[in-house]
Amino acid sequence: MDTVTQQKLDDVLCRCGSGLRRVRCCDADISAWPGGEAVDALDAQGQEAVKLFNEKKYVEAEALALKLLDLAPNLRPALRVLFEIRKAQKRGTAEEALAIRLAALPGAPAVRAAANLLLAQYYVGQGRYALARPPAAEAVMATPRDATAQHVLGVVLTESGALQAGERHYRRALAVLGRDDGVVLANLAWNLKLQGRLDDAVVIYEQALALRPDNRRGQGGYAQAEFARGNREKALRLLDDGLARWPDDRALRLLRAMADLAMGDAEAVLARLSNAPETLLSAELCTRGQALARLGRPVEAVQHYATAKLLQRERHGQQYQAEAFAAKAEACKAYFTAERVQPLPRAVAPPARQPVFLLGFARSGSSLLEQLLGQVPGFAAGDEFFPVAELNEIIPALAGAARDYPEALDHALVGDGWALPERLRQRYEEARNQLGLARPGVQFITDRSASNHWQLGLIKLLFPDAPVIHVLRHPLDVMLSNLGQDRRLEANCGVSMLALARHYALVMSLIRHFRGQLTLRYLPVRYEDLVSDTAASLRRVVEFAGADPAAVPPEAVLRANSAMPPGPVPAHFSGREAVHGRGLYRHRAYQTQMPALFAEVREILDPWIAELGYREDGP
Amino acid sequence: MSGAQPGKQVVPLAEALARLAALEQANKLVEADDLANRMLAAMPEHPHILHLAGIIAYRNGRIAQAVERMEKSEVLAPEAALYPRNMCEVYRGAGQLDDALRAGRRAIELAPRDARAYFNLALIHYERLELDEAVRIADQAIALEPDFAEAHFEKAEALLLGGRMKEGWESYEWRFKLKQAEGMLPKTGKPQWDGRPLAPGKLLIVGDQGFGDCIQFSRLIPWAALLCPQPVLACSGELTTILRQISGIGKIVTRWEDTGDYEAYIPLSGLPRLAGITTENVPPAGYLAPGPALVESWGARLDRLVPKGLRRVALVWAGRPTHKNDRKRTLKLEQFAPLFARDDLAILTVQKGEQIAQVGGYYGRAPLLNLGPEIVDFADTMAILRHVERLVTIDTSVAHIAGAIGVPTALVLPHAPDWRWLLGREDTPWYPSVRLFRQERAYDWSGVIERVSDSI
Repeated sequence: MDTVTQQKLDDVLCRCGSGLRRVRCCDADISAWPGGEAVDALDAQGQEAVKLFNEKKYVEAEALALKLLDLAPNLRPALRVLFEIRKAQKRGTAEEALAIRLAALPGAPAVRAAANLLLAQYYVGQGRYALARPPAAEAVMATPRDATAQHVLGVVLTESGALQAGERHYRRALAVLGRDDGVVLANLAWNLKLQGRLDDAVVIYEQALALRPDNRRGQGGYAQAEFARGNREKALRLLDDGLARWPDDRALRLLRAMADLAMGDAEAVLARLSNAPETLLSAELCTRGQALARLGRPVEAVQHYATAKLLQRERHGQQYQAEAFAAKAEACKAYFTAERVQPLPRAVAPPARQPVFLLGFARSGSSLLEQLLGQVPGFAAGDEFFPVAELNEIIPALAGAARDYPEALDHALVGDGWALPERLRQRYEEARNQLGLARPGVQFITDRSASNHWQLGLIKLLFPDAPVIHVLRHPLDVMLSNLGQDRRLEANCGVSMLALARHYALVMSLIRHFRGQLTLRYLPVRYEDLVSDTAASLRRVVEFAGADPAAVPPEAVLRANSAMPPGPVPAHFSGREAVHGRGLYRHRAYQTQMPALFAEVREILDPWIAELGYREDGP
Repeated sequence: MSGAQPGKQVVPLAEALARLAALEQANKLVEADDLANRMLAAMPEHPHILHLAGIIAYRNGRIAQAVERMEKSEVLAPEAALYPRNMCEVYRGAGQLDDALRAGRRAIELAPRDARAYFNLALIHYERLELDEAVRIADQAIALEPDFAEAHFEKAEALLLGGRMKEGWESYEWRFKLKQAEGMLPKTGKPQWDGRPLAPGKLLIVGDQGFGDCIQFSRLIPWAALLCPQPVLACSGELTTILRQISGIGKIVTRWEDTGDYEAYIPLSGLPRLAGITTENVPPAGYLAPGPALVESWGARLDRLVPKGLRRVALVWAGRPTHKNDRKRTLKLEQFAPLFARDDLAILTVQKGEQIAQVGGYYGRAPLLNLGPEIVDFADTMAILRHVERLVTIDTSVAHIAGAIGVPTALVLPHAPDWRWLLGREDTPWYPSVRLFRQERAYDWSGVIERVSDSI
């Protein structure tokens, strides 16, 4: 006779905090979930849970939902109730896990779209745009005539840098709405501003604000667009009007302070951001710190910066993603070796217009170089308008590869794969040309994408002869300059000087690897030369790129740095100022006043300082 | 009960020393290092442990530590002949030639019948360019041990470097008895060619030695083909594309199985002896040329990649790390700084191998183009060299390529160079387009690259 072994029920609760048993939550065997008819049998009780929730009987609703989900983890109404309760309780991990599960459930298109939108908006709220992209896209595919789905995908694409695609979805949202909408229009205007289409942006902003004059963010964006166009008085008027209507709006106040700083009025910044430092937000602290630095008060400036970084880490939970990016760098180095890249096909025909790729760690001077090159006839400033990195995602599909990028590139060795570089290049060129970069007379288009250092291997395949200009700056000046910024940098490395130094070393060693393994047309240019001998440095770059150095404007014109390109206009042009040497070896004065300022990064940066040929005692 | 600590294994000293020596000889250097450190921790004043630990440190590249350990061992056991004998070689590696000379002489004083002690001292005299003394000491080693191949070979190098070619070629024949020469020649009962005529296709010429030697001596193949028409050339696959250009060759093979029914064989490096080559009768260079199509395609590529208006200088800074003299001849990329500071130059590196990674750390003023990753074989290198004003190189195969096709070349040489570059001259009978830039002091490159830069 067989004996029956008594098995213990697995009643361990799930680590996500949903309140469900783990075997009914994140560790569930999806293939063992109840089938459709079985789930339908529980629907009435699911609706009962919804009813309890709507009647604000949350305890009862939660209890019922948990019971139902223990029977059928895929019972949508119960799942939705539990999700809403965990969301209200701010139990993020559970909220995310339940939203993912809801989005994955089968169902009618409208229901699936709603669930995916929920997930996308959850990620948007956290600034995790890459994760938001798949559910937002799912929502659009399920209900293409849903304006909200189109709008959310527009937001996601815009914020993750796919500007043209974002614009298309905003316009689609307006089309399916069949009328203008102030919020969608303001978001479209911001997208156009990011694309450097400033004239178009201000027209749309005017329409958006006419419909929704209460849109504070729209008012700020409009001011930023006008400031970038050089209409500084109008920009200030917009900001002042906004502040008159919403005197407590800190975002508008910060924009106004940043405008003061850009116009050299540091005292006004201090007056405007005069709250007690402990009550300031990180962006406000950085702006105030920069004003203090401009007024020759470096110790106070650094104190402000340090507090800002502390806030970023502790209040906003930002952490340097060291391990993830170290792994990414190692994977990149492992793939892009001379031996592996050499046999891969390259795009052969000379490009219609030569891209000039600019490299440089944040605050090294690559934007200054791009502004200066923008003054040279024949050059257009392409900034980050369509990064090569955008191509990474489409490579597996184009190559017919089951593997991800970069391994998918191996498929270029097989069959029709030889044409892959040409097709990718075409995609890149089309995207940039659509922005209006391919103006008559333009032969060179700069690409200043922040991700370029990861893409040198792909760049080699698409543009084998493209110049790569690397702007170098004394690493301690780079640290100092980044310390005063509130910008979100790659891998969240801006959260501390130590993280900045570690990421600087990672990026520099990645570039070093590519240079050792690939035949790159590479030229290092020093920020220090660029600001002290501007015309000569620029002539060298222009000649290296293959253009006529005689076309470089005279030193005085270059240093004024006031020319405005016909468009698109890169965002950094709005902050451009006359070429100055204020930041030249700035770290020395800081170090004199604060000898320990760089102590924790010396071990990381000293080898780079030596390798780059900078000396302690002078240039 | 034993007094030993729990878990601690006690090994007799003699056994441990034998194990340490065995690990070193088996090239298990990490394990050897670990054992040496543990033994030193237990017995820091034991002269033989110190001595072996010094050798292991030397072989792991920690030369200063090797010298320190071995000097201590000599102080502790001043009568041990083995110690100064090995120290002589370690001092040579450290570039301390005066100390090496003292140690070498002391080793002979303590063991006057030890042929290896004489051999080590002969090496030091070669490094000091005291060539007559090198030959005399090598002869003493040979007198003690007549089949001592290394001593014969050392004598050959000293004779050839001194321009005594005829005697030198004879001693040079001992190179195939060196341990590292194993496998260079076919395993056959057939005789080595003695210079008498043979029927067509019956002579096998073997591309022995390195790529540079093969390129240098391949100019003598047409001479051999006059006596033995259509010889078969056996060589490495990397060389076939360029050696195919040499006139008179019947066929080129890369596997011993394909050599056919030859009657006699001769290594390429044996041809100068048979042909009676001296410094006065070297057949002219210009016996190789890049393919026109490759020259054209590289020309177009370089025109796109190199800024216009700059003078193009090709560069090789490192050799094959396994070469016996690589430490002497190889530089670091950064040591060519005088060239990099020039505003009128573009540097085109034609370096191959792992050392190309050094390009990643280059931030000089002159634009530098790392061509190594795109160079497939010597045919590419030849084609590229057609488009440069000058090649600057260390003593490696690319120097021979450039010389053979007549590209102006600045060749930087160690103080005691390989025998083929002779002494006291800036030119070489082997390659008229090559100019030699020698170290003024052993192991000291200062001033050399500055002179090269001044010459461009």
